[in-house]
Amino acid sequence: MLIVAGTVPVEGMALTFGEARLVGEEVFVGERTILPFQGTGAMLAAACATTQYLGIEQPYALLVGDTGKGEGSRLLYRFLEEKIEECKPTVLAMHYMMPVMGLMRRVVERCLSLPDIHLVADAGAMYAAKAASLAHHFTIMTPDTGEMVFLADENATHPAYIRRHLLDGASGCVVDLIKTAAEKGFLPKVLFVKGVVDYIVVDGQVVATVEEPNIAALEAVGGTGDTITGMVAAFLDGGLESRDACILAARSNRTAGLYANITPSDRIISLIQNLPKVFGDHLCEWSGICFM
Amino acid sequence: VKRRKKQKIGKGVVLMREVADAMRAEKVLRKEGFDVRLVAPPPHLREGCDLAVEVEITEQPAIERALKEHNVPFLRILPLTGEEEPVDVVSVVDFGREVMVRSANMKMTFDRTTGTIVNISGGGCPDIPYLYSVFVGKNLLKVPAPKDVGTTLCALMLHRAYEECKRIFAGEGRC
Repeated sequence: MLIVAGTVPVEGMALTFGEARLVGEEVFVGERTILPFQGTGAMLAAACATTQYLGIEQPYALLVGDTGKGEGSRLLYRFLEEKIEECKPTVLAMHYMMPVMGLMRRVVERCLSLPDIHLVADAGAMYAAKAASLAHHFTIMTPDTGEMVFLADENATHPAYIRRHLLDGASGCVVDLIKTAAEKGFLPKVLFVKGVVDYIVVDGQVVATVEEPNIAALEAVGGTGDTITGMVAAFLDGGLESRDACILAARSNRTAGLYANITPSDRIISLIQNLPKVFGDHLCEWSGICFM
Repeated sequence: VKRRKKQKIGKGVVLMREVADAMRAEKVLRKEGFDVRLVAPPPHLREGCDLAVEVEITEQPAIERALKEHNVPFLRILPLTGEEEPVDVVSVVDFGREVMVRSANMKMTFDRTTGTIVNISGGGCPDIPYLYSVFVGKNLLKVPAPKDVGTTLCALMLHRAYEECKRIFAGEGRC
């Protein structure tokens, strides 16, 4: 079971847990409809598109409303702490959550009792995991270049408080930042650094890079990082090795951007809707996952 | 010492001039739903009185706003570890019709011909998807400041990108 956990920007929306399905431009979780805009919605939609193509079990969504006050995030942490051992997911992907270190620590401690679980983190969940020195318990994290600076800065509590000298020229020295973060113990088993060049890092070593097709507009479109995390989690749930899951997600995201002819003004749904075609055209060639 | 340092990561302090202000701030913030407590400020940050309020530093903009709304005077809000000031570097990507401004982990993109905010990307705090829903499709000059709507440091970084977008749109910036 893959659980995608995160907040959605709906004031007062109660905690919702259920199987998710992408239909047209909407994700359905039980009777709720989630629009795949930037954030957890985009991540969940990309995960659904992937599992639906692979023909594997649909992801379960754990969602709660939170517009930034943090009360929804705290409910989400508490649910995970209390129920994760019961749910026994193979992959738990955590996303837009208020980064509360103490609560993240309690969730991760509970997850440690599940030997086969893969923890995936992006966004606020990644900030909390790094700041609480829990990154090494995670299978995959998916920072962008700016967040890579945060991972490499041992004292930074948030990407807003990074040391300026690390930020200067960061895009040109991603490998150095990866090395620094690895030395300080802030890396998960596998790291996917999103940028002009995507870096796939295993045990602190760059094992692959993906830079084609190069679609500059992807960085501007809200949700293009979220779709990567959603695909990575779904591929992982489908049984792929972490490294391969990351490479496939990188290639698929870029190619879907190409197929969508994406511009800086576009919405993420235009990329998500191209994922099935990208998988149909390339997944067999890229990964050996072929459907006759 | 290492354990104590770990416990402080992610935390910040509101420094106050008067002990009475600190006690009032704690009361006000607790009532507003923030997870706070009264502490002695660490020696390297000491300024004002001997009592401060420990907060989650990610919520800095919301805490600042709550204190101002309740007329509780304070000196500064600082993280307990790392840099004292948020990073203030912005970079600009010119796509032709659209311009993207990056500030730390946040990016705002606008249409240079109309001033419409066409996208927001990056970030990880739960107010960012909310700000996306409020701001995207609206004109730069007709939206409230992101720091006045958002609650987190991600919103503060988005605010810096927004300020730069406005400067560029007004023709005073780097483009």
